[in-house]
Amino acid sequence: MSNLTVSASPHVTKAGNSTRGIMLDVIIALMPALLAAVFFFGYHVLINAVVCAGAAVGTELLFGCAQKKDFSRAALKKSSVKDLSAVVTGLILALNLPSRLIVGGWDFNFYAAGAARTVENIIFSFDTVLICIIGGVFAIALVKMLFGGIGKNFANPAAAARIFIMLSFGLKAVGTVGFLADAATGATWLSSAAKSTSNQSMFLNMFLGNRGAAAAGETSMIAVLIGYVYLSVKKIIDFRLPLAVVASAAAFAFLFDALGRGSGPRILNNVFANVMAGGLVFGAVFMATDYSTSPNTFWGKMIFGAGIGFFTVVIRVFTAMPEGMSFAILLMNIAAPLIDKYVVPKPFGYARPQKPPPVTVTPPPATDAGAKREGKK
Amino acid sequence: MAESLKPSTFLRGVHPSHNKELSERAAVSVMPAPKTVYIPVQQHLGRPAVPVVEKGAAVAPGTLIARADGALSSNVFSSVSGVVADIRELATPSGYCPHIVIDNDGAGEPRELPSLDDPSAEKIRDRLDECGVVGMGGAGFPTAMKLAAKEKIDAFIINGAECEPYITCDYRIMLDYTEQFVRGAQILARGAGLDNFVIAIEENKPDAIDRVGRYIRDNKLAAAVITLKTKYPQGAEKQLIYAVTGRRVPVGKLPASVGALVDNVHTALSAYLAVSKGQPLYRRVMTVSGRGIKNPSNIWVCNGTPYRDIIEFCGGESETPAVKMISGGPMMGFAVSDTGIAATKTSGSLLLLTDSEAFTGEPGPCINCAECAAACPMKLMPMYIDSYILAGDAKNAVKYGARNCIECGCCAFVCPAKRPLVQSIRLAKKKAQGGGK
Ligand code: SF4
Ligand code: SF4
Repeated sequence: MSNLTVSASPHVTKAGNSTRGIMLDVIIALMPALLAAVFFFGYHVLINAVVCAGAAVGTELLFGCAQKKDFSRAALKKSSVKDLSAVVTGLILALNLPSRLIVGGWDFNFYAAGAARTVENIIFSFDTVLICIIGGVFAIALVKMLFGGIGKNFANPAAAARIFIMLSFGLKAVGTVGFLADAATGATWLSSAAKSTSNQSMFLNMFLGNRGAAAAGETSMIAVLIGYVYLSVKKIIDFRLPLAVVASAAAFAFLFDALGRGSGPRILNNVFANVMAGGLVFGAVFMATDYSTSPNTFWGKMIFGAGIGFFTVVIRVFTAMPEGMSFAILLMNIAAPLIDKYVVPKPFGYARPQKPPPVTVTPPPATDAGAKREGKK
Repeated sequence: MAESLKPSTFLRGVHPSHNKELSERAAVSVMPAPKTVYIPVQQHLGRPAVPVVEKGAAVAPGTLIARADGALSSNVFSSVSGVVADIRELATPSGYCPHIVIDNDGAGEPRELPSLDDPSAEKIRDRLDECGVVGMGGAGFPTAMKLAAKEKIDAFIINGAECEPYITCDYRIMLDYTEQFVRGAQILARGAGLDNFVIAIEENKPDAIDRVGRYIRDNKLAAAVITLKTKYPQGAEKQLIYAVTGRRVPVGKLPASVGALVDNVHTALSAYLAVSKGQPLYRRVMTVSGRGIKNPSNIWVCNGTPYRDIIEFCGGESETPAVKMISGGPMMGFAVSDTGIAATKTSGSLLLLTDSEAFTGEPGPCINCAECAAACPMKLMPMYIDSYILAGDAKNAVKYGARNCIECGCCAFVCPAKRPLVQSIRLAKKKAQGGGK
């Protein structure tokens, strides 16, 4: 009995419960969305996923070593990348980008021989790969590691990176071509001028994924929902948080439409479209539920989710930007610590402190009370 | 408090694997007293008892060797017959205290007091006090003191939850000493001025529920068995009271403030032995278990028996080496490395855990998953207590509830980053006591 460890209780922990295991589960949950994106947008998405994840992992590895000023083998082996959270960030980021795009002023893309230089004809999008690397490095280095690594980042790295890319490279909702080819090229429902052409077949296509989408991962609702069910069943996420986001988005979409544009069956369609379009569901399931950047209590989560739904719809309806999900998430990420500060559960058996009884002044007795008490003992 | 079909329970908590199968089939046997016992004078909550014997004094089992010092302290008795060889500072699981070392000659007859028939509440309390009976679930709160609560008590609960993994001594007592145990429970209830009492047992001990229930029915006692859901920490005082009565003990108050008292199974048995048999408390049933021990058992162990003798009696270590030796349960017990530490009134178990059972790895950074908060039966926010106290901010650590923590370990149990949350909380409590800065 020479190698006995002495440490604080408890001495047992929940079996198979680790940060790495959780991240692995998130990766598994992302697979349906990734596969659907590959199915509808082609191998480009796969390239992006690998590049983003690689850039994220590489950045974390180097950043970690640079912080410790130790690039030895042992240091590399001990790196925090083993928890796989960088891979998750990379994948979510890739699914938040279009499959192919042309950055104005760059256009290092390879096109099919003799074809016009349009997005549909790109066979290898070097622009996108560069964007993926920039996004991955930005997400990990500036949003995550600079703030202290996993659990300490103030904003969702993938959402922040997406916004950074959108703003820096002027990528508005760059549409991508649907595999089944009847989705409108280059435009999603959100960026189409009227936002009024909703109909039933459009919803079915949105549900399955056959649509123009600004980002690869948001294309198939059903694929995202499979991931949602997986994460909920495995209790990785609180299943009520995404519901809060969607419910709040639906409610505010209804409210703003009803106030602004009158009545009629179109309103309901708009509510549906608002929920299904863009990255709302994807963001609600995979980005709003990010541990570090969401509140830690049930009511906190509900407020947080409702806020994301609200801001998403506000941005969609009242601003020039077609999509508001990442902004909404970022906004609420910043509000999360505040929510956590004020929504603190009362301990079991908590009793409201009673109002102190009215002060009645009784003059102290002449004898020394302290000495008396001592004497009694 | 009616017997309902649905097992009672508390809010939140966790489900560790119980591992009770290792020792639950082993009926209670007696471990002979060792050659030398090292009896600590601190086996209870309050101040250490003051030795009343000197080196060279002859003692018998049941001889008073150290007298209680103050209300929360308790008498300590010799567990063997022989001669006091020395009185010296030795290690306990949580520090050091004087131990009375006695060389066992195995000769003298145990000393017993006259048995009491149909005693009054006061007589019961006096006897428990005299015999050094303390809460044997771990805290070591003097039982007489607890029963003498000033508040009006209307619920007396015997805690048969035994929710800690591995431990089976209470379960075996309920099976092997059913009569003595139930009579002891009755004595305790009487000591608190009550005629009726409740025995609460977790669902996963159906034969104990059955056996105890049958005894109560057959003897028409004013008592009831309540089935509890199997969940940790079902046996924590405040959680148990909530499960059984629906009352919430206010933060910072004792159970008596809601009219409830809780006592442990073994305490009931000891109360029976003290009152009806006149035996002072100097030995107890202990579970020796874990995959690191050859023959997991439930045995009567004399106070002061060093762990090494207990391990030897249980067949020694198994082939797989133990990585942790634990005094107490795996959720709340102390990890120790010294096999010279001695068993006391409150040591319910000694566990030798192997690598596959105990966690010995390194903690990672908190990922803010809030699992700990979701598990905490006291509804605290352990991750904030942890991060604030590590940043040296005791004030905020207290704000997130450090003082209300019952140290059950649920938070650290579920933490995917394996953070030593309980250790942080203990630190926070300590710092908060020292002035809050
Ligand atoms: S904070 Fe305290 S009471 Fe809550 S789970 Fe952790 S140890 Fe138990
Ligand atoms: S369970 Fe662990 S990792 Fe999760 S919030 Fe609590 S301390 Fe952090």
